[in-house]
Amino acid sequence: MTATSAHAGDTMKGLAGHGAAVRPAALCLCLGLGLAALGAAPGGVAAQSGDVTVAVAIVVHPATQVDNLTFQELKAIFRGERQFWEDGRRVTLLMRAPVAAERGLVLDKIYGMDEAQFREYWIGKMFRAEVASGPKLVYSADMARELVTVIPGAITFVPVNDVSPETKVVRIDGKLPNEAGYPLR
Amino acid sequence: MARAAGLALLALLVSGPCLWAQDAAAGPSAHGFLFGDVMYVAGGDAPEGFKLGQAVVHGNVLLSDRVAFFGEVSLTGRDTGYGIEIERAILRYDFNDAFKISAGRYHTPISYWNTAFHHGLWLQGSVARPEAIKFGSRFIPVHFVGAMAEGRIPESPVTYAAGVGNGRAANIARAGDAGDVNGSRALFASAAVQPADLTGFRVGGGIYLDDVDADGGTPADERITSAHVVWDRGGLDLVGEFIHVRHNAKGSGSGVTSTAAYLHAGVKLPGELRAFMPYVRWETMDIGEGDVVFTGVVPDYDAVLAGVRYDFSPYSALKVEYRDEKFDGAASVGRLFIQASFAAPITPG
Repeated sequence: MTATSAHAGDTMKGLAGHGAAVRPAALCLCLGLGLAALGAAPGGVAAQSGDVTVAVAIVVHPATQVDNLTFQELKAIFRGERQFWEDGRRVTLLMRAPVAAERGLVLDKIYGMDEAQFREYWIGKMFRAEVASGPKLVYSADMARELVTVIPGAITFVPVNDVSPETKVVRIDGKLPNEAGYPLR
Repeated sequence: MARAAGLALLALLVSGPCLWAQDAAAGPSAHGFLFGDVMYVAGGDAPEGFKLGQAVVHGNVLLSDRVAFFGEVSLTGRDTGYGIEIERAILRYDFNDAFKISAGRYHTPISYWNTAFHHGLWLQGSVARPEAIKFGSRFIPVHFVGAMAEGRIPESPVTYAAGVGNGRAANIARAGDAGDVNGSRALFASAAVQPADLTGFRVGGGIYLDDVDADGGTPADERITSAHVVWDRGGLDLVGEFIHVRHNAKGSGSGVTSTAAYLHAGVKLPGELRAFMPYVRWETMDIGEGDVVFTGVVPDYDAVLAGVRYDFSPYSALKVEYRDEKFDGAASVGRLFIQASFAAPITPG
């Protein structure tokens, strides 16, 4: 990891301004339902997301001492192979619920899996005691963006259009989402 | 104000571990699964009919930012009722990704299948484990009571595990739950390589050393070595494993080797049929002539099986499998298995 600062407020001007509403219903749904992030989409064995035409930004808690990750480091974090930041804090992975387009992009680019494989992957990791818990579920980009700012060690992803100035965006292989060669688009 | 309070509550419940480090009163977070199966068996000498398999409750509890507990309890149907067993109970302290230390009862990491699937029938691609690793196996010690260090070597694709424990009990199918039967601790070490650029590929192996004092048997030195290769990606499921067991009778210079191996291959069908995964497996277990631990206890075994797994819901699978088996060189026996299995998430209230 390198120290190439990339606060979203510096680089994503004009992308802010979305309401930061974490709805009470979503709050209730989210309580203790981290396992739902594994993706049991209703009505299908392997729910597929729609086409993704925008880039996905990787965002972390503002106090996390990381500004750049290699794509391999990002894969290791999202796959639960790396569970601690360099400052010793445990990583908390926030994952969008199934069917969100950005989730489909992450499953494709980072995991190389469909929903069924992703679900089995995390159940297997928990079963083998490789991780103490799976990804935590979030139901909207707003929720992801809000929670990542209040949970120390959290990391998540949001569509680049949903990045706000107070969000800390991490460069991937030295690139921001609006730069050529960015791997998550 | 209300929004801030809601966010705080949500953060507490969702993030759990990170916040507990600051506020232990928040309590631990727990996640769990219930694994279960029901099966119909036809053919062979064993009783035919419906069989309720194991019901296994598996739970992970993050007690603090560094401390986790992993537990697993099984209920196994028997002729006279149900047997309850603590399959795993592991208390682990994570220093970092490279070094985690734990104590308890484990699935011995001397075999890939033993740790990857074990009681999680829904996770595995067939109706049952390979014979050498089966429920109640005597070929390898499938459980281990002791302490273990594990982790990932920094900046590398290498994971490792090393431990010390009681080794086999007098009943060699059992771990030494009540202490070491002979005062000689078992040691093991294993490692695996999972290259980041080759998602789904894994190659690894391990070694296990113990003194065995089996009921009615000859005390012997035991050395188990194993190697495995796995490809699990893109709907392709390939697992191959070889296990080599060497027994030297105490006071004897000569040893006897017994071996086991299997090759398992499954492939998901494309498109609309992707919920179906046909699979085949070849297995063999060859007990060495005069093996002082296995002779009369573990049979020679050869098998070929073929089946289809159908994931009819996100957490449920139906497997239909035909198995042709041969024990101790006798005539082969064909059996048909139809099994429904599931993994049900257990959500804390």
